Amino acid sequence: MKIKNGFVVREIAGQSIVIALGEATKEFNGMIKLNETGRLIWDMLSEGKSSDEIVKRITDEYEIDADTAGKDVEVFINTLKGANILE
Amino acid sequence: MFYIKIADLKIRIRNKFEYAYRLCKDYVIEEPSGVDLDVSVSDEEIQKEMNDAEIKVSPAYAEGICIYRNICKELPLRFDAYLLHSALIEYEGRGYAFAAKSGTGKSTHISLWKKVFGEKVRIINGDKPIIRCINGEFVAYGTPWCGKEGFSVNDSVPLRALCFIERDKENSISRMPAEDAVMRLFNQILIPNDIETVNKLFPLLDKTLATVPCYLLRCNMEDEAAIVSYNGMK
Repeated sequence: MKIKNGFVVREIAGQSIVIALGEATKEFNGMIKLNETGRLIWDMLSEGKSSDEIVKRITDEYEIDADTAGKDVEVFINTLKGANILE
Repeated sequence: MFYIKIADLKIRIRNKFEYAYRLCKDYVIEEPSGVDLDVSVSDEEIQKEMNDAEIKVSPAYAEGICIYRNICKELPLRFDAYLLHSALIEYEGRGYAFAAKSGTGKSTHISLWKKVFGEKVRIINGDKPIIRCINGEFVAYGTPWCGKEGFSVNDSVPLRALCFIERDKENSISRMPAEDAVMRLFNQILIPNDIETVNKLFPLLDKTLATVPCYLLRCNMEDEAAIVSYNGMK
């Protein structure tokens, strides 16, 4: 599970924005705004981390239990899959 | 072939159809000693524009649209500038850019400014002005591409406010934090699909939001909307 090539994340006014470049624009047209946790998950997915590793990192950094974090990460990952961003 | 000057850039246009010249006639200049941009449109681009258009358009009209798109693609990369889909007016030496989803009533709102404040309000561009950063200041420019009402003046104005409009029963205006304006601004620009342009345009948008105050105007179509709008931003 990895973010496909051709997606970049940049900060504007402190907000993380994802857009598609080149070939990736054929499958994804538009942009996504990530919140702080979203950005953390995005960065870890970009590094090829597994969802278990991501959940562990989130429970370490935020006051949230593993169950809730696991569900949140799953929702986020499914959203990215639905938008054809993950392979 | 002819030459125009927009956003202080000298541009050579290699047109196929006479329509492009008529569209640009207020911006035409004599052949300059050098040009900043050289623009032409391929048959394939014209065909694609005709296929993608929601209504049936002529090849000449499609060429006109493609010319502007090809100009605007080059703006971030080379000239610290970008197209901002908005209605731009000038009043008391200040530029106000109003942006909203299509059909919200940008044109109606700027017409209200003219009605309430009179002839001193100038509509620089009704739909597609260019914003350019010059020595750290943002300047907004009129262009020949200006929407269906044809509001266009060949002039520029310092951009003093970016105002996002939403329709409401009552009129109100509030300053909008830059972080809340990011997505709204994004909805009004051409999103690039190459990394070089992204790396120029995104810092430019960041700087725009750090420099130009943003507002959220909720308004109806009564005269009071223009007064609330002006008082909130002056």
